[in-house]
Amino acid sequence: MSEYTQNKAVFADNAANSKDDSLFYFIDKNSIEAEKITAPRYSYWRSVFRVFFKKKVNFVLIGLLLLIFLAAFVIPAFAPYAPYENVTDATSFNLSPAKAINKYGFSLKYLLGTGGMGNSILYGICSSARTSLMLAVICAAINMTIGIILGAVWGYSKRFDQFMLVIYNILANVPYILMISVLVYIIGSGFWSFVFALTVTGWLGISYFFRTQVMIIRDREYSLASRCLGTPIPRMITKNILPFLTSVTVTLLATELPSYISMEVFLSYIGVGLSANVPSLGRMIQEAQSAFMIYPWEFWPPVAVAAAITIILYVLGQNLADATDPRTHM
Amino acid sequence: MKRYMLRRILFSIFSLLVVIVVVMLLVYTLINRNVIFQTDDVWNKKSWNDRTVYEYQQYQKFGYLDFANYTIFLKNKYEPLYGDQYTKNADYKADKDAIQNAETWLTNPSVQEFIAQNTGVEDAAAYLAAHPGKAIEGNGWEIVYLAPQLTPRGKVKDGGTGYLLAIYEKSVFTRLWNYLGDLFTVETTNDVTDPNLKDRYVRVEKDPYSGFYAVVGSGTTHKYLLYFDSRFPFIHQNWLHLNLGTSFTKYRGQEITEVITQPTGDQVKVKTQFPAMLGSDEYTETAIDFHSLTYNYSTPTKYETERFPDQYTASSYRFGGLSMLENSFVIGIIATILAYLLGLPIGITMARHKDGLFDKIGNLYIIFIMAVPSLAYIFIFAVVGTGLFGLPYKFANAQVKILAYFLPTISLTLPHMGSLMKWMRRYMIDQMNSDYVKFARAEGFSEKEIYRKHISPNAMIYLVHGIPASILGCLTGAIITERVYAVPGVGNLLTTAINGHDNGIIVACTVFYTTLSIISVILGDLLLAKWDPRVSLSSSKGGGR
Repeated sequence: MSEYTQNKAVFADNAANSKDDSLFYFIDKNSIEAEKITAPRYSYWRSVFRVFFKKKVNFVLIGLLLLIFLAAFVIPAFAPYAPYENVTDATSFNLSPAKAINKYGFSLKYLLGTGGMGNSILYGICSSARTSLMLAVICAAINMTIGIILGAVWGYSKRFDQFMLVIYNILANVPYILMISVLVYIIGSGFWSFVFALTVTGWLGISYFFRTQVMIIRDREYSLASRCLGTPIPRMITKNILPFLTSVTVTLLATELPSYISMEVFLSYIGVGLSANVPSLGRMIQEAQSAFMIYPWEFWPPVAVAAAITIILYVLGQNLADATDPRTHM
Repeated sequence: MKRYMLRRILFSIFSLLVVIVVVMLLVYTLINRNVIFQTDDVWNKKSWNDRTVYEYQQYQKFGYLDFANYTIFLKNKYEPLYGDQYTKNADYKADKDAIQNAETWLTNPSVQEFIAQNTGVEDAAAYLAAHPGKAIEGNGWEIVYLAPQLTPRGKVKDGGTGYLLAIYEKSVFTRLWNYLGDLFTVETTNDVTDPNLKDRYVRVEKDPYSGFYAVVGSGTTHKYLLYFDSRFPFIHQNWLHLNLGTSFTKYRGQEITEVITQPTGDQVKVKTQFPAMLGSDEYTETAIDFHSLTYNYSTPTKYETERFPDQYTASSYRFGGLSMLENSFVIGIIATILAYLLGLPIGITMARHKDGLFDKIGNLYIIFIMAVPSLAYIFIFAVVGTGLFGLPYKFANAQVKILAYFLPTISLTLPHMGSLMKWMRRYMIDQMNSDYVKFARAEGFSEKEIYRKHISPNAMIYLVHGIPASILGCLTGAIITERVYAVPGVGNLLTTAINGHDNGIIVACTVFYTTLSIISVILGDLLLAKWDPRVSLSSSKGGGR
C-alpha cells in the first residue's frame, strides 16, 4: 500500500507545481522487486469470516445460540430433569407459572409452571433442547459426510450414476415415514436408534442434490483441462469440484440442521418419535397439544424453543452461506 | 419420443414393483410380529396353548400367514355326514380327542388325513422318524402340534388343551403375485355363482333413477355397471374395480379404494321409488342409493320381495358429505391454486424491489416458514384463525360446513406460498443479471415488458416441473393439518395404519403414493419440455448425461 500512495502523493505534488516535464518522473528499477508477484496475502476462510462478522445481527444470533446451548447442556448437568418426582402429588399437576410460584416459592425450576405429571416445564425444555440439538448436529454431520462423499463420486462416475439412479428411484419412492417407523419398530426408539433411522436413508437426498451439482461442474472447461493433463479422480474431486461447492454445502447445512429438529417434532406428533424416557421437544409438544387452549404454558414454550433454535440455525447458516460465496468478498 | 416414453413407463412399472417388494419385506418380515400383542389384553389373559393359537389367529388376521385348524377340518368332514348334530357323533368325538394324547395322536386316521391334505405327507410317522426333531413340512405348509399341557397330577392346565394346526407362511413373491393378481377385477355375467339365476346379460337400458340410459347387468355383482347421477363426476361405473389393498383392522375387510371414495356424513333421504314400485305412483322416502344394488344370495325376505323384482337387493346409502379423498383434494387443490396465484406475483415483486421494504418483509416471512417446525405454525394459524376471525377449529364442530374448510386451506396455502415466493425470487434475481436482460434493456424495452415477457417465463422454467407434483400431491392429503383440525381426509391413512399395524393399508398407501409420484415426475418432465423448447427429453444432444 505504502509505495503506491507515496507515489501518488509525489505525483499530485508534481502536478500542482509544474506543467510539463515535471509531470513525469523515473522510478528505480529494482530487478529483484520486479520478480516478485505482488498479490496481497489472501486467506479464503479469513475473508469469509470478515464478511460474516460484518453483519452485526450475526453476533446477536450467535449469542442467543450460545445461551440456548448453555441452558441445554449446563442446567441438566446440575439439575437433572426428573419428570416423575411429583407424580404422587395431584395438586402439583398442570400448574400455571403463577400458581407454581405460589406453591413452591420463586425458583428457576417452576418459572414456567408444571406439566401434566407435576414435572417442571423449564427443566423439561432444557433437557429436550439438549436432545434436539444433539440430534440435529449428529444427524447432519453423518448425513452430510456420507451424502457429500457419495454424491461427489456419484456425480463424477457415469457408471456409478446408472446404478445409483435405479437405487434412488426406488428408495425415494418408499414413504419416508414408513421407513423410519419400521426401523424404529425393529431397532427400538432410543436416541441412537433414532439417529440410525434418520440417517440410514437420509443421506440419499443430499447425495442426489450433490450429484447434480457435481455433474454441472464436472464438464466445465477447467475441469476438462485438468482431465486432459491427467489429474487423478480423487484430486479432481477434492481440488477442482468440492471447493467450488463450498457455498452450496453451507446453504444445504443451513436447511439440514433445523430440519432434523422439525422432523423429530413431526415424528413425535404422529406417534413414531423417540421413546418416552428420552425427553424431547417433539414429545413435549405432542403431549401438550390436545389441551393447548387450557394449559397454554405447557404448549407454547417448547414450540417457541424449537422455533427459536431452528430460526437461529437457519439464519446463521444462510448468512454463512452468503459469506462463503467469494463474490461477496470484494 | 414415443420410444423414450415407452422405456420410461416400463422402467416406472419396474421400480413400482420393486417398491412394493421392499415395502412388503419391511412390513411383513422385518417388523417383529410380536409388537401387535404389546397392548393386547386378550393376549395377556390367555395362557399356554390358547395363547399360541390366539397368536396364530391374530397373525392370520393381520395377513402374516394362513393357518388351518384341525377342529375346523373335523367340522367340515362330519357336518355334511351327520348334519347339525355332528358333535354328538362317536367317531367325531374319538377324532377330536385323539390330539389330546401326545403319544398316540399320530395313529389317528383323521389326523393323518389332515396332515396329508395340507402338506402332502402321507406317512407322518415315517416322516418324523426320518427327520427327528423337525416339524412336518410340505407344499409350503408346516404342521404345528401343540401337545396338551398337564399338571404334575395329570390334569389339563388352564388353556393347555392340545391343538393341531397347519401353518402357511407366505413368501414375498407369493404375496406380490397374489397382490398383482387381485389388483384389477372386471365384473362379468358369470360373477354370480347362484345356479338359480338363469337370465344373464349386459345391456343398455333406460335408467328410471337418472332419466338417462345406463348399462345394466344381470349375473354381475352390481346391477348398474355404468350410470349417471347428480354426484360429481356425474358418470359412475361399477365394472372395473381397483383393489389396492384390504384393511385388516381399522376398516375391517374393506378395500382401501372403497374406504377413501365412500361419501361420509349424514344419510340423505330423497323421495324415490323402490324398483318394484316403478311405473306406479307409489313413492317413498329413503336414503338407499339404488344405483349401488348388488346381488344378494340369501332367500329374499317378505320385505324384499315386496320392493325388489329380482335378487339385487343389497345396497348402500346416500350420504350428504364428501368422501375422504374429496375432502383432502378440495382443501389441497384450493390451497395449491391460491399458493401459486399469490406466491408467484409476490416473489416477482420482491425480486423487482430487491432489498426494499417489501422484500425485507417477504424474506422475514420466508425465514419464518422455512425454519419454524410446521406443527408450530399450524397451531399459530389455528389460534389466530379461531381467536381473531372466529373460524371453527375442529372440523366436526363447525356449524356451517363450508367454514370448516377455511382454516385447513389457509394452513396449507401459507407454507406452500412461502416456498414458492422463495424460489421465484431466487430465480428472478438470477435471471435479472443475464446478458439477454441487459440486451433487452439496451434495445429499449420497458422494464415492465422485460419482467413480464422475458424474466418471468425464464424463471418459471425451474418451477414448472413441480406443478403436476403439487396438484397430484393433493390426493395424498396433509398429515399435520388434517390431524390438527380433525379433517376426515386421507392424509393420516398411512400414519394410523403404521401405528395400528394395518399392513394391507400400508401396502395400498405406498402403491398409491408411488404411482402418483412417478406420474407427477413424468408429467413434470413433459410440461418442462413444453415450456422450455430447449429441453429435449429423448435425444442425447444438449447437456448432460
